[in-house]
Amino acid sequence: MSDRNLGQRIVYGVCSGLRILDLGHWTGVLLLVLLGSSSVLGQTPAEAFSAANKLYYENKFNEAAAAYEKLIQLRKGSVAVYFNLGNAWFKSGQLGRAIAAYRQAEKLSPRDPDIRANLQFARNQAQGPTFVSNRWFQWLRKLTLNEWTILAAGALWLSLLLFTAVQYRPAWKGHLRGWLILTTVGTAILCGCLGLALRRAYSSPIAIITHDAVVQEGPVEGSPTAFAVHDGAELRVVDEKDEWLLVSTDARRLGWVRRDQVLLAPPI
Amino acid sequence: MLRRAVLSARLIHRDGVFTALAFAILIFSPSVFAATLTASVDRDTITLGEQVTLSLTFSGATPQTIPAPNVEGLQIDYVGQSSHVNIVQNQISSSVSHNFNVTPRRAGDFVIPAITADVGGEKLTTQPIKLKVLKAAAPSAEAINSGSQLAVLKLALPKKEIYVGEIIPMELDLYLHSSVRNISGFQITSFPADGCSLGKMVQRDQRRAQLGNTVYTVIPLSYTLRPLRAGTLNLGPITVSVVVEIPSARRRRDPFFEQFGMRDPFEMLGGEQKQLTLATEVETLRSLALSQENVPPSFNGAVGSFTLNVSVGPTNVAVGDPITVRIQLSGQGPFDTLALPEQPGWHDFKTYPPTTKVDTTGDPLGIRGSKTFEQVVVPQNAEIKELPPVSFSFFDPEGKSYRTLSGQAMKLVVRPSGVAPAPTVAAANRGQPEELPPPTQDIVPIKTRWGTLAQGGAVLVHQPWFLALQSVPVLALLSGVVLRKRAENLANNPRRRRQRQVAQVIHDGLQELSRLASENKSDDFFATLFRLLQEQLGERLDSPASSITEAVIDEHLKPKGVSETLLSQVQELFQTCNLARYAPIKSSQELAALIPRLETTLRALQSLELHNHQLR
Repeated sequence: MSDRNLGQRIVYGVCSGLRILDLGHWTGVLLLVLLGSSSVLGQTPAEAFSAANKLYYENKFNEAAAAYEKLIQLRKGSVAVYFNLGNAWFKSGQLGRAIAAYRQAEKLSPRDPDIRANLQFARNQAQGPTFVSNRWFQWLRKLTLNEWTILAAGALWLSLLLFTAVQYRPAWKGHLRGWLILTTVGTAILCGCLGLALRRAYSSPIAIITHDAVVQEGPVEGSPTAFAVHDGAELRVVDEKDEWLLVSTDARRLGWVRRDQVLLAPPI
Repeated sequence: MLRRAVLSARLIHRDGVFTALAFAILIFSPSVFAATLTASVDRDTITLGEQVTLSLTFSGATPQTIPAPNVEGLQIDYVGQSSHVNIVQNQISSSVSHNFNVTPRRAGDFVIPAITADVGGEKLTTQPIKLKVLKAAAPSAEAINSGSQLAVLKLALPKKEIYVGEIIPMELDLYLHSSVRNISGFQITSFPADGCSLGKMVQRDQRRAQLGNTVYTVIPLSYTLRPLRAGTLNLGPITVSVVVEIPSARRRRDPFFEQFGMRDPFEMLGGEQKQLTLATEVETLRSLALSQENVPPSFNGAVGSFTLNVSVGPTNVAVGDPITVRIQLSGQGPFDTLALPEQPGWHDFKTYPPTTKVDTTGDPLGIRGSKTFEQVVVPQNAEIKELPPVSFSFFDPEGKSYRTLSGQAMKLVVRPSGVAPAPTVAAANRGQPEELPPPTQDIVPIKTRWGTLAQGGAVLVHQPWFLALQSVPVLALLSGVVLRKRAENLANNPRRRRQRQVAQVIHDGLQELSRLASENKSDDFFATLFRLLQEQLGERLDSPASSITEAVIDEHLKPKGVSETLLSQVQELFQTCNLARYAPIKSSQELAALIPRLETTLRALQSLELHNHQLR
């Protein structure tokens, strides 16, 4: 891309932003930032993505990871960006960061076999204690929260419409009895699943260790060691205090770790 | 002044006269009586381990400060004061005693020197007091075998020759004669163990043992003993103080029970307590120094008997990645002080202080079990191929020699930092579901298509439009329920149902009338008109339509107060119908003109609904 085109794009972005700012909308500010960012980047997201992939193929994993993260910071992250970021971190030996990226990709596309395979592979490389969610939550992870929402809402609609039809045509009640029971039970189950998915989505985040660390018994420096964790270990955050997080892997292991030693990932 | 005080005290309360009197004496006595100070002990000869009470008694005076005597070899502790009032032949005297517990530290003759106290500017001095402290001694073997001892204290050591740093269990056994019912106030008053350290005490289960011809109940107390220096070490005499309860010697036994060879059951009711001071024999231990020859480099003072177990993970790491080495030492020894020695072979690794965990479950004394060290080591270069074996040395007292335990060298794959890990078979599954893809040899390659933008934060359950949309089926259901309820109500209300049917009939009938009028079908027109009147009146009067004639005007409508205007309108319509039978109206206009009149009349009849009660 020539410098002239780049300059035109910047001027266009700034002018557009100023016009929108005249209207006094905060969205204008956001759009201005995005336009400006896009201009500074000088590439479309697809081009930037391809450039990052090129770095990856050249075994410049750290640079590739930085390029993928740049895309994510500019809100141009896609499933493929998070997935490739995980690969780049994994190849550069950053197991914890790789797991965090794979988790984000899995959150967006939970049934992608590539993501699941790489996440599982990365988790298997991690040593030492780690938090493993129970099988129910692992099963719930097969669908996104929105998919669970649509399923539950669809079942609710179907069930209510069948009941409505019976109200209008009581004679149909006998014919629809089986469907009524089926849709009611299905709705209850799907709503239960949606409730669990919501509970999981809004539960405490997961702390992913990015370097080997020592979990301490208290939130102060020099506190006795509770247990050691290694790069890639996933810990459930139970509480927080200042710069410390109270984390656990299971009922037996509980301790404090400094916030700068972990990456916080939302629960999937 | 005293008399006035006494009188005042009597006036305060008659029953409390002596209290008031004593109070007055205590207040005013210093100015009345001459002050004296005496010192006394409750016993002048005791056994080492026992205590005596030293009392400094001030009569007729209150000291400004309480002097504390200081005697080498005696520990003297102030315990409090007590007051006394004596009235002898109208002579009243008061005294205050300040008491001290005197605990001898050694046997011998002691003199508590004269004690001087300042009382109101006057110096009062006591006489010196002699105290004889005898050595506590275990009873002789003859005395024990005779069965005359109520309690005996014995010290049991598993061996007499131990090494410095070796930890052994020892047992202090309290033997109680069968006549002892109960004990209380058990207190170890002296536990001389110079050159040794004692561990925690554990009380074990009681047992029975025979000394001479007498069976004793044994209460064993276990300790751990660890010599700190080499040489001959004396342990004991350990002295304890205990109060035993035995049957009273003054109570005569009932011969009634004796003649049947039974114990007097009432013997339990009476008993006396006796304080005993018990002592063990002095046990001599030979503490051996550890050999100075062939001391292994990794020896750091551990004495005991141990086994070593080492595990390492992960074994495929990059430079700078942590490796956890778990070292478990199991066996017998001082686990609390057991430390992991420096590992000189680990110079290529950065090491961190290990975490430790002691597990002595099953051994209350805590000398048998295991101690696990979790040591994090970090490889510093990619040339490392293995973790050198862990080495741990200790002195084995049984073998009387040093022993060195070594684990195996652990193969490692250390790759340069920033390089992709070598493909490995996935490690042990950590509880993931079975349906997950099978373990792979490497990660799946990157994706080449950017795909769609991730829509972060667009959660449907947070969207107002989505939540509002969910109200649609609910509203549909509610409307269906309302309609069904209305239909059911109609079905269950014949009057209402007929009202609706008649309304429909009237509606259709009026259209029919218009058609008949236009077609000039006079007979059919009036037949229909008459039928409509019948239907409406029948519905209003809750009577069959066929039974309605002009006569209902007089029979039913008039009695119910229907307006004359309406009655006349109805009557006119009836009469018109009757006339039409004999003189048919031929004109369509004439027929059509009747329709509005009929409609007006029918509406008026329908409006009678509000006065329904009038029609019944």
